[in-house]
Amino acid sequence: MHVLLVEDDSVLSDGIARILKSYGIVVDIIDNGNDVESILRRTEIDVIVLDIGLPGIDGFEVVRRLRAQGNDLPVLLLTARDAIQDRVHGLELGADDYLIKPFATPELVARIRALARRHHPKPVELNIGGLSLDTFSRRAMVHDQSIELSVREWAVLEYLMQQASRVVSKQQIIDAILPWGEEVTLNAVEVYVSRVRLKIAAAGIVIRTIRGFGYMLEKLEP
Amino acid sequence: MISSIRVNLLKWLIVPLLLINFVGGGLTYWLAWAPAQIAFDQGLADTVWALMSRLSNNHGTIVIDLPPQAEQVLRVNHVDLVYFTVRDSEGKTIVGDNDFPSLQLPASSDEPFAYDGSMHGELIRIITLKTKMGSELISIGVAETDKKRAHIRAKIFFALLILEGLLTLISITIVWFAVTKGLLPLKKLKSNLDARNYNDLSSVKQDHVPLELRPVINAINGLLSKVQMDASARQNFLANVAHQLRTPLAGLKTQIEWLTQKHENDHDTSQSAKLMMTSTERMIRQTNQLLVLARAEPGQFACIDLETVELNKLIEESVQHFVEMARKKEIDLGFDLKSVSVLGDRFLLRDMIDNLIDNALRYTPRHGLVTVSCFNNSDHSVFSVEDSGPGIPASERDKIFNRFYRLSDQVAGSGLGLSIVRDIAKDHHAEIILTSGPNGTGASISVQFNQ
Repeated sequence: MHVLLVEDDSVLSDGIARILKSYGIVVDIIDNGNDVESILRRTEIDVIVLDIGLPGIDGFEVVRRLRAQGNDLPVLLLTARDAIQDRVHGLELGADDYLIKPFATPELVARIRALARRHHPKPVELNIGGLSLDTFSRRAMVHDQSIELSVREWAVLEYLMQQASRVVSKQQIIDAILPWGEEVTLNAVEVYVSRVRLKIAAAGIVIRTIRGFGYMLEKLEP
Repeated sequence: MISSIRVNLLKWLIVPLLLINFVGGGLTYWLAWAPAQIAFDQGLADTVWALMSRLSNNHGTIVIDLPPQAEQVLRVNHVDLVYFTVRDSEGKTIVGDNDFPSLQLPASSDEPFAYDGSMHGELIRIITLKTKMGSELISIGVAETDKKRAHIRAKIFFALLILEGLLTLISITIVWFAVTKGLLPLKKLKSNLDARNYNDLSSVKQDHVPLELRPVINAINGLLSKVQMDASARQNFLANVAHQLRTPLAGLKTQIEWLTQKHENDHDTSQSAKLMMTSTERMIRQTNQLLVLARAEPGQFACIDLETVELNKLIEESVQHFVEMARKKEIDLGFDLKSVSVLGDRFLLRDMIDNLIDNALRYTPRHGLVTVSCFNNSDHSVFSVEDSGPGIPASERDKIFNRFYRLSDQVAGSGLGLSIVRDIAKDHHAEIILTSGPNGTGASISVQFNQ
């Protein structure tokens, strides 16, 4: 994945770049809004991470120009201001998401991935701990041992893997695995999750229960 | 000494009133007594005339025709003793009481003259008259003791005393009421100002305020608006500082995160990086709290548009952060969220939710339990956080919402969290209810919104 980071604070842009690289994301950094267009002409970019307060033309203006040109690249706004006007303004201009500084980097990574997926839904291989999910061939492996999952179990696990380290509610799981609106109760979700837990028990992964809310899949701490 | 308008008014009204009453009383006494005195004197003068009619000049000798019965008649009086004397030009007594005091005679003849004197150690009223009888100039003196006059004087005096006393009492009462009533607007203004919230800087209303107080109120309003301007400048400054700090803090945080990741196998370095992270997180939290504080000031709230906010959705937005925080302390953080909508400011409500959950997690010891819920009951929409922590002693319950008040020094915190919650609840006309947890242990803080 290739991210264009537009941020004028060099300490922050350097930090974000290092973190994103550690997640296997390629990052181009520029420190002003004027150069966005020329970079986009030269490079294939998946997501733009854009600071609002930039010298020269600001983040809002960058988004406005992109959308005016018919460019629908996903844009994640970074802002130090959380006034409602700023957020609404950014989203109205066509930004896809926003994150308030300072943020937790797993959150940043998760949002970037979500935006990229929405824009280019392509099969990928999901790897966490000893578990790997090949979304193309729909094969799940725990330490190179294939495991059998029902369609629903697969959908639940895939969604939890995509949202790894993030808390997801049961309703979010239902919405994600049944986009066509089939009826599934919250209790059924619990059943799927408990079956999945048993099947991936050896993978060094834990699906934590958040009482009364949902689940969070994460790597087991060593 | 502190000068008092009331005391001054009372002093300047009551003292002159008392003086006027006193002088008036004296004057009335004199007016009442003088005619009585004249009437008594005339009565006594009649005796003089009667006596005179009994005198005659018999070839140079003054003779008096006063049989004992007639003298008896002259001396008759119910109350007083009557004395008399008739003297020739040399002062020799012709007839009457020998011990009658010497006479002060009038300047002209045949005109009675009245004055006070004394006889046998008693006060007497004396009438004298001089008249020419043939060639002889004789003088007549008649006197009576003062008893009936004193009696009348005493009557007049006591009647006046009662009358003037009553008048004085009534006028003092009227003055007292008038002054109190006159000062009522001041009292009203005071209670009006007293009833104000400490952060209510709106101008004081001028309606129903007397003309004389308007300049004072104008001055107060002028001061209030200066304070308001200053407060809002301070809030803007605070918000600006907080915003300015966010980007460098974000930079610091990501760098430390990367460092932690990179050196996760080097125990010393990763330990140090984790400590740096703890400090950074604290700075971030403090900065955010300052920002929220500036934003939640009721004065600032007025300009924010209200919208219908789904409280349960708002809580869901906060879950991620707190699940991580709870995991670090191995606290069982649970939720019970029903669909609840309230009218309010989305961001302030989010701040309120965050602060209450954060607070519960902070004060609940390891392996504790925290439950966040929202639901509708018959009258209210309720957001509630229960924890199994040490609870809040009843004596502290009023204080914990004060700024910078902290229940325990053992727990790191800004001392701002609950005061922010209070401000935001106030902004939304919501009520904060503090109780013990469900089993009598721990604490439960709920915010009740009117539906």
